[in-house]
Amino acid sequence: MKRWIAVGLVAILAAAAGAYYWSSSQTTRDASTLLGLSLPDTSGHQEAMSQWKGKVLVVNFWATWCAPCREEMPEFVKAQSELGSRGLQFIGIAVDEPDKAEHFARELGVNYPVLIGGYGAIELSRTLGNRVVALPFTIIVDRQGRVAQTHLGPLKPSELRAIVTSLL
Amino acid sequence: MWFGVSCAVVALAIAVPVLGQIDPLPPERAFRFTARALNPQTIEAKFTIAEGYYLYRDKIHFSVEPVTAGLTVPPLPEGKVKEDQFFGRVETYRDSLIVNLNLENAAVGQKFVIIAESQGCADLGICYPPQAQRVTVALPAASAAPSRGAPNKSWLN
Repeated sequence: MKRWIAVGLVAILAAAAGAYYWSSSQTTRDASTLLGLSLPDTSGHQEAMSQWKGKVLVVNFWATWCAPCREEMPEFVKAQSELGSRGLQFIGIAVDEPDKAEHFARELGVNYPVLIGGYGAIELSRTLGNRVVALPFTIIVDRQGRVAQTHLGPLKPSELRAIVTSLL
Repeated sequence: MWFGVSCAVVALAIAVPVLGQIDPLPPERAFRFTARALNPQTIEAKFTIAEGYYLYRDKIHFSVEPVTAGLTVPPLPEGKVKEDQFFGRVETYRDSLIVNLNLENAAVGQKFVIIAESQGCADLGICYPPQAQRVTVALPAASAAPSRGAPNKSWLN
């Protein structure tokens, strides 16, 4: 009997630890390191991330060589156009060559800033939960500058809308 | 006893859907690179690709250090054709890719570093940045055992 209770408790603890680990994408970590970044846009002009502080930010790491990244971007364009006036701001950080990122962004009609992320930006994404350092990786920051959610892989449009509207 | 069993069942019921989320492999495990000398002129380069992962044919490049070894790379085998909205016709490899590289100026006993650059994605909807993996190969008189080098990532920019 006692042994079974112990087994049950161990299993519950293991599950709880697992649940905690896997839900760590929903956090309230400070996004100040991210907001302290300054990255070049596709023409080389430095943009400080801090200029968007106070808005609900969707910071999306992407690349032209990443098909799943490109596939979710039209939804970002749509959401930016619909919710931008309410304080939603998308920022694309391209892990790519500036001309390729520029070409694709123009072709798609991207209506939000596209910055070029080097090794530092990618390493930062690792510290914010991108353990295998893959793309697309999206960080959602609330108006207080806290990381509300991080997500590896494409975001479902319904999921994206639910998260951002709860923060706006 | 039943309490324990039911606890375990509840725990599993909680754990399974939670653990069912994306759990991608690190790139060096998704795309394992090994190389071995088949004879003093030939290096067998091999990617072992995990199930659910694929490499892009046109992103695979091989090189050797020192370059004086004179590496020649044969045309890569045809991959599975995929239509990409942005890049057009692309070819991908799954499971494994074996390429026999030729060393023109190699000497028996000499050590070389074979560098394989690659880029791939996973079916679960993620892609990895280009990575470079390095494997040191010695050219003995007899054929060598496979060796695996430490992954060494490289990034665009």
